[in-house]
Amino acid sequence: MEGECHFLEGNIRAKKRVNYTKGLLAEVKIEPERLKMFNMGASDAKEFAHAADEMTKIAKEFGPSPLKKIKNRKRPAIRRIQ
Amino acid sequence: MTDFEPKVVAFCCNYCAYTAADLAGSMRLEYSPYVRIIKLQCTGKLDILHLLKAFEGGADAVFVAG
Amino acid sequence: MIIAERKTFDEIKQIVGDAHKILIVGCGTCVAVCMAGGEKEVGILASLLRLDAKREGRELEIIETTVERQCDKEYLEPLAKKVSDADVVVSLACGAGVQFLAEMYDTKRVLPGLNTRFIGVAEHEGMWTQRCMACSDCILGETGGICPVTICPKGLLNGPCGGTNEGKCEVDNEKDCAWTLIYRRLEKTGGLNNIKKLFPPKRYDVQTKPGKVIHPAYEKGEGKAHE
Repeated sequence: MEGECHFLEGNIRAKKRVNYTKGLLAEVKIEPERLKMFNMGASDAKEFAHAADEMTKIAKEFGPSPLKKIKNRKRPAIRRIQ
Repeated sequence: MTDFEPKVVAFCCNYCAYTAADLAGSMRLEYSPYVRIIKLQCTGKLDILHLLKAFEGGADAVFVAG
Repeated sequence: MIIAERKTFDEIKQIVGDAHKILIVGCGTCVAVCMAGGEKEVGILASLLRLDAKREGRELEIIETTVERQCDKEYLEPLAKKVSDADVVVSLACGAGVQFLAEMYDTKRVLPGLNTRFIGVAEHEGMWTQRCMACSDCILGETGGICPVTICPKGLLNGPCGGTNEGKCEVDNEKDCAWTLIYRRLEKTGGLNNIKKLFPPKRYDVQTKPGKVIHPAYEKGEGKAHE
């Protein structure tokens, strides 16, 4: 759990960085919901499985990353103008 | 989008979430096959650049567990 | 030190335009300490630009580098090759660093990635506050080490004014009254007599810009040390 970390505050630091990174992702128009922090203990196998499933569900809901959506299309417009 | 196989990256703390993931394996729990786990010695080591690089590398979702 | 903040990504993106090869130059001194333009921030900005370009299907190459200081020529000289390879240069330094870099490589577009805010201190982790206006005529010796030119929103040399309100300022009651702080400090250090002293009008002539300082040892002219 938060603050009950092996190194006392490691997961609190991680949470701050995750939240900050969500803001960065929003700046480049990647849905911040694609990034999430979970807290769990060493024996919380079910929680881990749940987190993995939840993030997979989120990824499926939002579809492929905005980076890949374009990649699959043909060469970008800039190229063609040149 | 039925054939979409998402890439999910998990950054896990060696002392809790990674052990939990390991345990999930030994307990034969079924969970998403799309998750790729990266072990950190502590989530305090997590870097903003790790997260951004994961997205640069084409991750569709990223989570941090610890 | 000099405190700066990163410009919004949209603004940086707009000034960079459609450059294909961008050199991002960090500065390892003040702005690295205030987490705005050091090596880490160079990495983050580079990553954001790459993510954005990939999302839009644009080709983009980014060169990342960080120098000790951008306000000293010897640190800028080794950048020549990298600068000439790039279409544009984004400098993550204070305004002084950006200008010096632009001056040295004056055939290249050098763009600012930061907004320079003020001279300040790290009050606590991740928070900086302004402490000095660089007014060129320091009176801290008389005011208990608290600068009314900076801390008092009115910049009063003789205070407090009628707007002091139980230790807060009438301009903004979140802000401390500088002259109340000065009074308390002088009380503690036994210099309360100073508060009665009348300061003459502020000498604005000494802060004519652009400022210039020449160390006496480097002055040129007859009988001067440099000769």
